[in-house]
Amino acid sequence: MNKKTLTMVVNGKTVEKMVEPGDTLLDVLREELGLKGVKKGCGKGECGACTIIMNGKAVNSCIVPAMQAVGAEIQTIEGLSNGNGLHPLQQTFIDCGAIQCGFCTPGMIMSSKALLDKNLKPTKEEIKQALAGNVCRCTGFVKIEEAVEKAAEILKNGK
Amino acid sequence: MKNYSVVGKRLPRYDGTQKAVGAPCFTSDVSLPGMLYAKVLRSPYPHARIVNIDTTKAEQLPGVAAVICHKNTTSKLFNTSATIVFTLPPLVPVKDQRIFDDVVRYVGDEVAAVAAETEEIAQEALKLIEVEYEQLPSVFDPKEANKEEAPDLQGPREHGKNLPGEKIHLELGDIQKGFEDADYIFEHEFKLPVQKQCQMETMAAVATIDADGKITVYSSTQTVHPSRAILADLFDVPYSKVRVLSPPFIGGGFGVRIGLSAKAEPIAIALAQKAKRPVKVVYDREEDFTSSDTRHSGYVYLKTGVKKDGTFTARMMKAVLNAGAYCSFSTETHGVLGCMGLSLYSCPNQYYDGIAVYTNTTPSGAMRGFGSPQASTAIEAQLDIIAEELGIDRREISKKNMMKVGGEWVLPYQCQSIALEECIDQGAAAIGWDKKGTFDNSGSVKRGIGMACGTHVSNAWPFCGDYSNAYVNIQQDGSVQIAVGSPEMGTGVQTTLSQMVSETLGVTMDKIEVTIADTESSPFEIGAHASRTCYVVGMAVTQAAAQVKKEALEFAAKLLAERESCIYCAQDVQDLDIVDNMIVSKSNPNKKISLREVTIQAQFKGEQFIGVAKVVPQNAPPWLAHFADVSVDTETGKVTVNKLVAAHDVGRAINPTIVEGQIEGGLAQGYGYALTEEILYDENGRQLNTGFHKYMLPTAVDLPELQAIIVESDEPTHPFNVKGVGETGLIATAAAIMNAVYDAIGVRFFEIPMTEEKIYMALQESLKSCE
Repeated sequence: MNKKTLTMVVNGKTVEKMVEPGDTLLDVLREELGLKGVKKGCGKGECGACTIIMNGKAVNSCIVPAMQAVGAEIQTIEGLSNGNGLHPLQQTFIDCGAIQCGFCTPGMIMSSKALLDKNLKPTKEEIKQALAGNVCRCTGFVKIEEAVEKAAEILKNGK
Repeated sequence: MKNYSVVGKRLPRYDGTQKAVGAPCFTSDVSLPGMLYAKVLRSPYPHARIVNIDTTKAEQLPGVAAVICHKNTTSKLFNTSATIVFTLPPLVPVKDQRIFDDVVRYVGDEVAAVAAETEEIAQEALKLIEVEYEQLPSVFDPKEANKEEAPDLQGPREHGKNLPGEKIHLELGDIQKGFEDADYIFEHEFKLPVQKQCQMETMAAVATIDADGKITVYSSTQTVHPSRAILADLFDVPYSKVRVLSPPFIGGGFGVRIGLSAKAEPIAIALAQKAKRPVKVVYDREEDFTSSDTRHSGYVYLKTGVKKDGTFTARMMKAVLNAGAYCSFSTETHGVLGCMGLSLYSCPNQYYDGIAVYTNTTPSGAMRGFGSPQASTAIEAQLDIIAEELGIDRREISKKNMMKVGGEWVLPYQCQSIALEECIDQGAAAIGWDKKGTFDNSGSVKRGIGMACGTHVSNAWPFCGDYSNAYVNIQQDGSVQIAVGSPEMGTGVQTTLSQMVSETLGVTMDKIEVTIADTESSPFEIGAHASRTCYVVGMAVTQAAAQVKKEALEFAAKLLAERESCIYCAQDVQDLDIVDNMIVSKSNPNKKISLREVTIQAQFKGEQFIGVAKVVPQNAPPWLAHFADVSVDTETGKVTVNKLVAAHDVGRAINPTIVEGQIEGGLAQGYGYALTEEILYDENGRQLNTGFHKYMLPTAVDLPELQAIIVESDEPTHPFNVKGVGETGLIATAAAIMNAVYDAIGVRFFEIPMTEEKIYMALQESLKSCE
């Protein structure tokens, strides 16, 4: 196979990897970079467990070809608490009981972060829309929506 | 009820931080040195004989380390479900599966597997396996499969045509007399769909075998000890030479891995034995749909005799469930359906016949509710019809007939607490029951309210054997270790069990560590199913903690007597208690010594405080009332659920946030069961809904406001009055929505899910009949 060089910024650090044409961004993040917080729930962009933030937008990394990430700025769940304690979203997810099995949690938090990065006063409907691509089979979403509202509140007051 | 300082508090989850930071804590995250990746070849036919299979070309592909099929693996029979381990005599566990067989019985059945350096190579190798099939006749409906002319899917069966196990028959009183005493008799049949667990982490296992042949399996199982037993028996290894563990969490379960994670573990082990390297098996989502157990679909028939005032005189129920291609839990599910379905209400004359029948579809096994959603959907939808026909308030007919403490029922234990009436009242208030019938439904969107009740279990007995062991000890610095075989699949067991131990022992939560789901660090434990962990394992850790506390206080009393011989003597142990890690005198609070100091002193005398508990539980059904407020667009058939309320008698909520989370999650699954979720098969036995989108899994956008109401009752069989809550959230949801839809549009449904199309067609039909 023709391997190509992929250079991107992941959680603030520039990384360079040789990737195959068929590799997805999820493969590279999870298997090459060991970022196991990026989960694989379906491989078809249907569940959102692999959600990361790429150039400011929440995307399903399982359906992004790796080479599309050339030069991109990527944030994964691992970048959220880098030595600075928990991100408000991580804390409110814990406090509100928004975490059960935890498999959807990283993707759910990244989708929420992409929302709050742009909008610190989201309505309930905007939160639901932001999470529309993230499946959670445990919670019924009630406590997740509450956690996003609370985190928005904290981030708003902190700014 | 007694007040506690730790039990009953909304404490944050023990496992919250690890999960919030995305720690690699699932089987699919496990990576071992030299590990190979496996892929499985699956049958494209619903029923066929493998005439020939040639794996030569696959074996020759560079990067392939091992290829296995029925020709080079054990032909020993087993059952992937834990029922094989805890079926109680005189019943005999049904063993009808092989890792690979020369007959395939559903689309997705295992044919061969490859282990290779990468997943891509393994996938490529599957294409090189040459298989010649001879197709056999197939059958997909359980009623058809039960007819004499149907093909035998597992050979002639002892208990009837295509029956994996026994028929279940229950009787109370005299059913004929009951119908004679009735003023009215109602007779209906309901059709229930195939629902899928859709747990977020697919089936996964990583097997490694050391030089002595000892097998270690990281597994997504809900039941490490029973899974070890299944695997050790299958591979002919002593139980002590197999270790099954979670790493340490599971990405959801909902029943699908009570026992093995489908065949992930045996395939990983067989490949690891052949390749002599660790092997990882992770099902993709489509495989998880086609080749892991589903909820039982089928038919529930009800014939109910009532007096004019709504009192039941006779209740007859018959269930025909689809077992799918292999038995799995199809010797138990129809038992729970019958027993718990009948036991919701009192009635002197009861009759039940239940069967599960083999078909050429994906095996049915355990899914949250395990028979009770099927029962409740039918019973509570019919009761809505009865109440309306008799002109009785829907709440009152449930209250009039509901089970009473000590009431007669088909179960071999007593009902000792029931707060169903409070559940009905509180739930009705929360949904705004008084608005029922007052909505302005003159437009095309019509609104309605409905309710339904249900019950379930707090452990698996008497349907299977049920027991737990637990180990609690105080470490040499006064901190505490709990070790149990229970897994953490989202239900918060570490938090809840710690709260019970903290309350019992007087040690603060921050000093308690819980080791879970590892056969090598815990005594035998049946595992997480039947809403049992908080109830049974909770009893076990509480008992073990009490034993530890007794030992620590006795030692402390001696120590204090030695130190302060004039003013304290060893007999004063009754005067001591442990509060916030300090041993204190109840009569003189100034007299205290830290638990840490006591354990350090104990160490010098060669003593550790250790508690081991063994619990064989009875049972305590939880009770629940669900309410739905819906709007139906009569032009499209679309149902919008405005609000769902669930009021549950949970005994006591050890951690109310976790309990609400269980109920809310169950409501969401019940919403799907009622309205969208279903696996359909085409005429060739292929699943039509093999991904989340095609299956119409509800998301945040679909789900309405959910309100969980916790109702507590003084359940005497548990030290903290706990009843099971893991499964209850979806049991009565579908029936509540069915009844609300009827209230809105005046059309009854006798099958779910009530999809837009079905509602639209039914409305067209009812318009025609009005014309």
